[in-house]
Amino acid sequence: MNADNIILVKAEDLYNEASRLRYDAKQPMDYLRDIVGMDWGEEGLGALYYMECTATGTRMVLKAVTADRDNAFLPSVCNLWKTAKIKEREVFDFFGIRFTGNPDMRRLFLREDWKGYPLRKDYDMNSNPLNMENEENADVTEEYTLMPDGTIKGKENVVFGSEDFVVNIGPQHPSTHGVLRMRTSIDGENIRRIDPILGYIHRGIEKMNESLTYPQTLALTDRLDYLSAHHNRHALCMCIEQAAGIEISERAQYIRTIMDELQRIDSHLLFYSCLVMDMGGLTPFFYGFREREMILDIMEETTGGRLIQNYNVIGGVQADIHPDFQRKVKEFIKHLRSVIKDYHDIFTGNVIARQRLVGVGVLSREDAISLGATGGTGRASGWSNDVRKHHPYAMYDKVDFREITRTEGDSFARYMVRMDEIMESCHIIEQLIDNIPEGEFRVKTKAIIKLPEGNFSTSVESSRGEFGVMLESHGDKYPYRLHYRSTGLPLVDTMDTVCRGQKIADLIAIGGTLDFVIPDIDR
Amino acid sequence: MSTFKDYINGYAFGIKSLLIGMRTSMKVFMQKKITERYPENRHTTLYIPERHRAMLVMPKDENGNNKCIACGLCQMACPNGTIRITSETRETEDGKKKKFLVKYEYDLGACMFCQLCVNACPHDAIRFSNHFENAVFERDKLILTLNE
Amino acid sequence: MFDYYNLEPVLMWIHSTMCGLMPEWLAFTIEGIAVGIFIMVMYAVLAIILIYMERKVCAAFQCRIGPDRVGGRGGLLQVPADVIKILTKEIISLKNSDKFLYALAPFLVIMASILTFSCLPWNKGGEILHMNIGIFFVLAASSIGVLGILLAGWSSNSKYTLIGAVRSGAMIISYELSIGLSVLTMVILCGTMDIQEIVAYQENGWNIFKGHLPALMAFVIYLIAGNAEANRAPFDLAEAEQELTAGYHTEYSGMHFGFFYLAEYLNLFITAGIAVTLFLGGWMPLHIAGLEGFNTIMDYIPGVIWFVGKTFFVVFLLMWIRWTFPRLRIDQVLILEWKYLMPLSLLVLVIMTVMKVFGLVF
Repeated sequence: MNADNIILVKAEDLYNEASRLRYDAKQPMDYLRDIVGMDWGEEGLGALYYMECTATGTRMVLKAVTADRDNAFLPSVCNLWKTAKIKEREVFDFFGIRFTGNPDMRRLFLREDWKGYPLRKDYDMNSNPLNMENEENADVTEEYTLMPDGTIKGKENVVFGSEDFVVNIGPQHPSTHGVLRMRTSIDGENIRRIDPILGYIHRGIEKMNESLTYPQTLALTDRLDYLSAHHNRHALCMCIEQAAGIEISERAQYIRTIMDELQRIDSHLLFYSCLVMDMGGLTPFFYGFREREMILDIMEETTGGRLIQNYNVIGGVQADIHPDFQRKVKEFIKHLRSVIKDYHDIFTGNVIARQRLVGVGVLSREDAISLGATGGTGRASGWSNDVRKHHPYAMYDKVDFREITRTEGDSFARYMVRMDEIMESCHIIEQLIDNIPEGEFRVKTKAIIKLPEGNFSTSVESSRGEFGVMLESHGDKYPYRLHYRSTGLPLVDTMDTVCRGQKIADLIAIGGTLDFVIPDIDR
Repeated sequence: MSTFKDYINGYAFGIKSLLIGMRTSMKVFMQKKITERYPENRHTTLYIPERHRAMLVMPKDENGNNKCIACGLCQMACPNGTIRITSETRETEDGKKKKFLVKYEYDLGACMFCQLCVNACPHDAIRFSNHFENAVFERDKLILTLNE
Repeated sequence: MFDYYNLEPVLMWIHSTMCGLMPEWLAFTIEGIAVGIFIMVMYAVLAIILIYMERKVCAAFQCRIGPDRVGGRGGLLQVPADVIKILTKEIISLKNSDKFLYALAPFLVIMASILTFSCLPWNKGGEILHMNIGIFFVLAASSIGVLGILLAGWSSNSKYTLIGAVRSGAMIISYELSIGLSVLTMVILCGTMDIQEIVAYQENGWNIFKGHLPALMAFVIYLIAGNAEANRAPFDLAEAEQELTAGYHTEYSGMHFGFFYLAEYLNLFITAGIAVTLFLGGWMPLHIAGLEGFNTIMDYIPGVIWFVGKTFFVVFLLMWIRWTFPRLRIDQVLILEWKYLMPLSLLVLVIMTVMKVFGLVF
């Protein structure tokens, strides 16, 4: 695997170049995977734009740099991709690059009164002592416009006006699945606007990574999306292995794939449980947990962990599979196939559940792509986006499986996609579990791993979408910058689009079907 | 008329689905319960896999000697600074200078069980044990000295 | 026929003995206080039993064991322990709340609940409040509860409680229609509003058998609407935990919250009790025509056991419903009432009237 091919554009040409690629006749780059802010020191601040064409699967990277560190401006691309709006806020938050034309230039994760931009290399780590004051959220935000004469003009945009009845849902709320806060403007029971406020458990993992060696960075991946712990770590291991040119054994590939799918079943069972509980059905909640417990027991026996498993390592996996592993996995799949009917009887077919889900929170295919809502959410809207199919890794090009897509785009479709994926994952595991080849589970690597210079990226299909690793190496044993494409951030961003005009109760159901995990958003 | 028919069909479908749901929940009502009674079952049915990572230990042989050579690789590998090794250089009988372990401190409260220290150890002197009942009332008690 | 357990002579004897010992007004006062204390104690004891039952039943539906630590293997002392805990908790006062209404609301709720509770026919001659419009009084008294809920939501001065209270108001007032209509159906069948006479009417066959099809439909409608009246899942959207944290009682603590909690469980019992009275023969034993021996044995079981037994059966039915279904949305709740239940209960009312007039009921 070679380093990413990066096209450098001038800051002032960025919008035109991006627009040309976005509306290209042959290969429209209609899906913006991520915007990665960068501090290249002398060269200046800038961002990498990772794009993909959904029709052909071609990927491209644009790089834009601005040399002015004090007044860094880049043109916004949020007219081309809706997801750019929130991604640019993230870059602004960490690097202080202002995007001209983005209507919302508030900080995304950090407090509004934070000093400095922490991911810049010259950031003073002592500049923000622990602040115990309450944070007042501003109801206005700034928009910058580039005037024809080259000056920058600021303008205020109102987020919530005085006529809005704003209800705070979160950060301590039973069904936001973590410390997510949504300021929700309602009109009676109807939702007018949702403004997600993030960062309540932001840990600065990307900043921490810059001072950790490559094996050490692995320890933090399980703590992103804890329901996709294997997938996250798999992505980072793959990225480092590809960059360092480490070839891993087939046995390790098999084990990794099986573990990924077990993790996916685990996550989707939890999805079922949580969705049902969010909708007030507490009994089916326990059904999902009952079966999930069995997966966790199986995983614990092999990996030694239940939630934080630390299983994938550079060069393979931490330990060989437990002698009972194959037998137990087969027993579990048999059991799951027998009880899944109960799940559907008690909830899927239920008239109340159908009324609550069918036709509620429709996300169109165009919006799903533009907002970068990958995973089950995108597939429910008819966007075939399974990384396992389009950019196969590990054993996925050798197994036979169906990519579940639906066209309705409503909450029920999102729910059914995940329920069907459980069965599809069982199908994948069944093909692999009896054929694990002999061999070493872990190849020897150098004691100190150094990566060659360049940009490397990999992506995997995690439980809730495309999880990407974007790595820039300057040849050290530490990454120069290691960015993770969060699967949840675009999904939270989708909430506003999907929920408008729906009821408060639907907000909870839609949030449940979008299936985001907060530590992954906040990183 | 078709809307009236839909209305009646909707009625029938709804009632049927509700009854199916109630049948399913009654089925589970009759099934065996899955609750584990934890403190009572710790010597009977409780099963903690051998590989479960609950705390770092340093195995000793029958003479009370451990395999640690105080090389400090585990200390360097730890992302959290959980391990602190104190060593001294002594002269062995054949006149060579060699490092000896004095104190191996391990902060269980800061450990994130990533297994990098175990992977780094060249002599398998440390490993994770599955002894998980480690709750204490004071944080100081979580700082363990493993070579004692 | 089975007057061994009639309580009326015993009570009359107590009254006349007391009147012989003291002036009549004093006797009435003492009796009043005694009955009041009796109701309160019964109320609390029943609440404890119901909460325990709910915990165990819900656990069994969820493949769990439920409380099993406090008070031996059955966890019998868990609920009393929780009651003591809730009694010792601080009652917080909110800065910007309407203090008077905030304190009043839980009492309104519990008062409505106790008033209805007093009307239940426990046994022959064992009804505490007896009047010839008994069932009408039950409907009227239970409506006070919604006032308490609305006041609680309003006076807490919180957005969550307000939404919860408004939801609850809209829902309970709607569902009272269905309850009223299905009660009316049975009143037509029995020809009386007096609770004791309704029970007495079922001496030779429970109403659900006597009124067969329309009575059965009215029973189902009553159970659904009664469930909604008691604010229980799938109609618990007034306190929808996942949306509104705790709905109208979000801001209450300690025993103030305890009152809401108590009233919720007792309303469940009352709903079931009224259902038993109207449809399942109250304290009347089960008789099967033709089996004389069986019927005589059934007669020996006291009426209070019959009543409590049947009520707990209906309570179990309601719990089964609660622990199976997901929650409805506010507009769906109202659609269910106005488009499905209300027309159906009107239809049932008409059918019942026609059948009664033409003598098609037993």
